[in-house]
Amino acid sequence: MPQTTIYAAPRSAGPQTTPPAVATVELARLFGRNAALAGVSLRVEPGGTVALLGPNGAGKTTLLRILATAIRPSFGSAAVDGIDVAAAPELIRPRVAYLSHVTGLYDDLTADENMRFAATMLGRPDVAEAARQALDEVGLAPVARDRVRGFSAGMRRRLALGRLLLSSAPLMLLDEPHAALDAEGMALVDRLFGRWREAGVTVLVASHQAEWVMNLADGWVRLDGGLLVEVGGQGVSATLPGRSLAPAPAAAVVDR
Amino acid sequence: MTALRADAAVAWAIARKDALSELRGRQAVGSTLFFAALVLLLFGFALGPDSRRLTEAAPGLLWLAIVFGGLLTVARLHQLEADDGALEELARYPVGRRAIYLGKALAGLGAMLVLGGLLLPVVAILYGIDVAGAWLPLLATLVLGAIGFAAVGTFYAGVTVRMRAREVMLPLLMLPVIAPLLLAAVKATSAALGGDPFGELGSWLQLLVGFDVVMLVAGAATYGYLLEE
Repeated sequence: MPQTTIYAAPRSAGPQTTPPAVATVELARLFGRNAALAGVSLRVEPGGTVALLGPNGAGKTTLLRILATAIRPSFGSAAVDGIDVAAAPELIRPRVAYLSHVTGLYDDLTADENMRFAATMLGRPDVAEAARQALDEVGLAPVARDRVRGFSAGMRRRLALGRLLLSSAPLMLLDEPHAALDAEGMALVDRLFGRWREAGVTVLVASHQAEWVMNLADGWVRLDGGLLVEVGGQGVSATLPGRSLAPAPAAAVVDR
Repeated sequence: MTALRADAAVAWAIARKDALSELRGRQAVGSTLFFAALVLLLFGFALGPDSRRLTEAAPGLLWLAIVFGGLLTVARLHQLEADDGALEELARYPVGRRAIYLGKALAGLGAMLVLGGLLLPVVAILYGIDVAGAWLPLLATLVLGAIGFAAVGTFYAGVTVRMRAREVMLPLLMLPVIAPLLLAAVKATSAALGGDPFGELGSWLQLLVGFDVVMLVAGAATYGYLLEE
């Protein structure tokens, strides 16, 4: 049985304290000699919406990809619901839905086939109905039988957003959800955020639409050059500045 | 039992998705078949008009054509995933890595069976051999050979899909591993076409079964690591 690493609860908290939705300790990721993340320590409480701000190359996408188990950390640790993403990725995947900056769609399948495939992979028992509802929700029902190869960038983005609706994950990781969307598509994203907020879903959203995201988010963090440089609002806390590339101190984690 | 059923559903969904994509990209399917048939034709030209020599060489040339066409096929099945980040998306689904491997291998097996099934009559016509009289052992050889090729090909296509020189690296890594399969498949095909006078067909088929089992188990156990970046 694989060992699961969890973050130690604060001393003042009782044993039944809910673990943070996201917790990272000195999290770093290297690509060759470049540090995309250079020691980020951050804690996001469950149920809130937290904006990840920062210029291109700040490390926002890398942070989201680590939490989504798409890549592994080079140093430090990251946990979702108290479970270490590197130690037990199979336990993280059902807990996380990720909207990447690429759509991950199959061009030679129709919109409906793409959605049904995702519903099957997500273990939905009602594959056809779930796919139909999701397509309807994102306004693609009229083109459900059209192949994705002929879709515009905005339509592809809508389809990727529809795929998120098939997931019941308690943590949504969104990388530039507005990219390529028109005004109607942006309104769709707003509706989805409202729905997730009502359902108590935690949302981490990286966006360059600073005004929009600040209106929507409970809290925010700003990254720059792989470092966490600012934190504000509610539902999020962080250690500033994260500069060490050393592995997480042993005291920060406990094993069970 | 439930986990096995879930794995089977996932594997089937992946294989179906790959088959649909492959069939709809008709240009790629047609060009692979044409390429493999062309290989057989060129081998025929290279060996000359001696019908006995052509008949003797037919099993080996058939399997070389299947291998060349198969290399293109398994590479393309993974290339589908590399487009627009689909491989990363596939890896993030909360499903067993084993099921993903088996789904990709199942798609590869289907494509290999179609390829082999279409090349057999081409060999019969070009090299003047009678395949109808030995259809059952030939079918068994084709199925077992295709399973082994798909098992190895799926694994190595996963190894090379993120490489820049994947077109070169895939055959470079894969061909040495499938050497036993190629040997056993050619010998079994020869025995089947020749009426199996020395009773060796069963041994070669057993070798193919052993190869298939080992490669499928190894591929299913290790493929998950290839999905991680």
